[in-house]
Amino acid sequence: TRTEQERALLQTTTLYVGNLSFFTTEEQIHELFSKCGDLRRIIMGLDKVNRTPCGFCFVEYYLRADAEMAMRYVNGTRLDDRIVRTDWDAGFVEGRQYGRG
Amino acid sequence: MVESMAKHLKDYLKNCEWEKARYSVRFLSDLVNCHVVSAGSLIQLYDTMMEAALEPNTPQVRRDWFVYAILSALPWVGRELFEKKERDLDRLKETIDSYISRRVKDHLVSLRVWTGQTLHPQEEYLECLWFQICKLRNDYWQEKHIVRPYLAFDTLLSEALQHSLPPLNPPRHTESMVYPMPKVIFRMFDYTDCPELGPVLPGAHSIERYLIEEHLSQILDQNIPERKECAAALLAFPQKSKVPLEYMIIEVILGELFRLPTPQYLEIAYGSLMIELCKSQPSTIPQVLAQAVEILFDRIDTMNPSSFDRFANWFSYHLSNFQFKWSWYDWTPCLEMEQDHPKPRFVQEVLEKCLRLSYYQRVVDIVPKEKNFEKLLPPKPEPRYKYTEDNNNVDPVVVIAAQNLIASVKRKTTPEEAFLTLRDLPNPLQEEGEPDAPYNPLKIDVLVQTLLYLGAKSFTHAFQALAKYHQILKALGSYEEAQICILRSVYEIWHDHPQMMTVLVDKMLRTEIVECSAVANWLFSRDMMQDLTRMYIWEILDMTIRKMSKRVAKLERELAESKEKLKAAATSDGSSDSEAEYGRGRKRKHGVDMPSEKPTEEMIERMEDKVEHAQTDQKNLFLIIFQRFIMILSEYIVRCDTDGKDFKTHWYRWTLGRLQQVFLTHNEQVHRYSDTLETLLFTSDVDSHISETFKQFLALRS
Repeated sequence: TRTEQERALLQTTTLYVGNLSFFTTEEQIHELFSKCGDLRRIIMGLDKVNRTPCGFCFVEYYLRADAEMAMRYVNGTRLDDRIVRTDWDAGFVEGRQYGRG
Repeated sequence: MVESMAKHLKDYLKNCEWEKARYSVRFLSDLVNCHVVSAGSLIQLYDTMMEAALEPNTPQVRRDWFVYAILSALPWVGRELFEKKERDLDRLKETIDSYISRRVKDHLVSLRVWTGQTLHPQEEYLECLWFQICKLRNDYWQEKHIVRPYLAFDTLLSEALQHSLPPLNPPRHTESMVYPMPKVIFRMFDYTDCPELGPVLPGAHSIERYLIEEHLSQILDQNIPERKECAAALLAFPQKSKVPLEYMIIEVILGELFRLPTPQYLEIAYGSLMIELCKSQPSTIPQVLAQAVEILFDRIDTMNPSSFDRFANWFSYHLSNFQFKWSWYDWTPCLEMEQDHPKPRFVQEVLEKCLRLSYYQRVVDIVPKEKNFEKLLPPKPEPRYKYTEDNNNVDPVVVIAAQNLIASVKRKTTPEEAFLTLRDLPNPLQEEGEPDAPYNPLKIDVLVQTLLYLGAKSFTHAFQALAKYHQILKALGSYEEAQICILRSVYEIWHDHPQMMTVLVDKMLRTEIVECSAVANWLFSRDMMQDLTRMYIWEILDMTIRKMSKRVAKLERELAESKEKLKAAATSDGSSDSEAEYGRGRKRKHGVDMPSEKPTEEMIERMEDKVEHAQTDQKNLFLIIFQRFIMILSEYIVRCDTDGKDFKTHWYRWTLGRLQQVFLTHNEQVHRYSDTLETLLFTSDVDSHISETFKQFLALRS
């Protein structure tokens, strides 16, 4: 439900990261986002058909506070010359890494 | 109201809220200007504080605070006291003067961004403010920065009833009190660096420099969570036409970024703020920043490694936001310098960090083509797998085994089955005369390299390989020497990709394939010596120490919480049967210990054991690290002495600086084991150049 969703967003340690270049790698994302704290995992968004990166990913931190730092200091700055957009995400579920091909 | 302010001040002191207490003193002082507080009673307050500052057998950091609080209030009230209480003010000056001249300043060396006394001296904070106050006094206490709204109401206020401050009894020093650490004032610009036509930068000992820097730091503190607003607030500084504001802003931010032991906020907070400043004022800030980078680079020879790292991290990050545009051409002279010189090292580390934020070809493209920049370019971050069929330097038997392993892994057989392909590999340790060798370095190397080679595509692939073979790897690493073998194999295959090495070691520590002590011993082992002047080694060591510290802190926190709960439960009603019943019922339901449940004595004892165990591990880790430092540095000094060479080379400076860095960065944790370190390691036999760093470390809290 909507309230559940809102509560999840207030507690989540996962960020949706968008507007990436198709060529941006997990390594680059790791380097940038780990400046805010230790990362639990990165899940690259993949094209449904070709299974190649398609411009978004999920970044999960161990701590909420670190994710908040990324919202403050990474959101709106550049990676691979593109402005990175971050947003809270209720948490990654298998299958969501596949974008619309 | 005066009374309540005075009470606040006392509470702040009791709770060790030193900054708030300092501002209270300043506020009370300013009240003298509006005739709310009598000048005489303020002098009394200062006298009491000076008494506390002169109290024998208390730490200098405590005594310093009292003096600093008075000095930082004087710009507000100096003129008024000069007019009304000149003799008292002179007496105060004499006392402070003799206090300042008798202070011990062992901490100073380790807190300086530059070890050499370059163009701009890196002054000790209290001493610097003292000089500024002396100059202010010589100027008859005239300053031009402080906003004094009460001046408009002077006639009205002059008839107001004056109050006396109640006497202050500063709380006595106890062991548990923590005081602010000493600081060094960061300076990199003087008036000659700023444009001739603009406003003049206040001199190093002018009180305006102090007041404006403090004001800018406050704006930064209040706004840093919102970097856009922070940039706007800084650029809208009230008296911006009177000073070269951009220079002062950049100096303050870089000063905070380089602050030792550690910056107050995340490094990226300052980095993203500077990006924002560049965007908000593109006509001036980028030029000032570029000038700052040139100045920092120019003076990098004597920059301490902590600041060096932060400089390289920030600069590469900054460049990644501005298309890596930089006048690399100007830095070509460092191509001719020796490898360990800080200048070529800096360019190399920046390019390596740029690579991490972009990709190999990009970095190749940003440096000048015509010059020999390849020398400083990072290698292509690719795996160097040893057991390929075309490698003639490896015994063909081993290559066949490795190829069988690859085939087996690719067939997705169980890890146990795949590992069987290596069962016939000889054990080099046995051949070297160790018949009972408890582990086989060759097997370890083939397995680790092969797994990482197959998982070379990305971090996720590598992590998956480690996860799948976790049990086998864990079993292989049951001896510390075997864990070091695992780490050596990581280096063998990935030495061209420091970031990969770092995340792999991180993962192996988390999944307990290797222990912190093994990582420390590996980093200081002979195999790694050639990389000791590179940044990534110290990133890995730092990450390892932090892991250990986090574990200790977590266990200690849990123990404290449980003790708290036990105490609360004991005081509530002596735990009735029904409550115990309820607790048990809940436990069964959830299958785990509920955090709200009352802990038993045995549980607490078990937790105490765990904490003690973790603390022992932590102490041992520091002992390993410091012992290794002492060993390699002493050996180096002795070797240079016998060869008749000066030991103060780049290598020596780097390594000694890294020792200092461990002390500073982890000072809170290291501090707990100072006594052990003193009796076991930093004894009188150790070369004084090395033991000096320990003395400087102790001075941070004495």
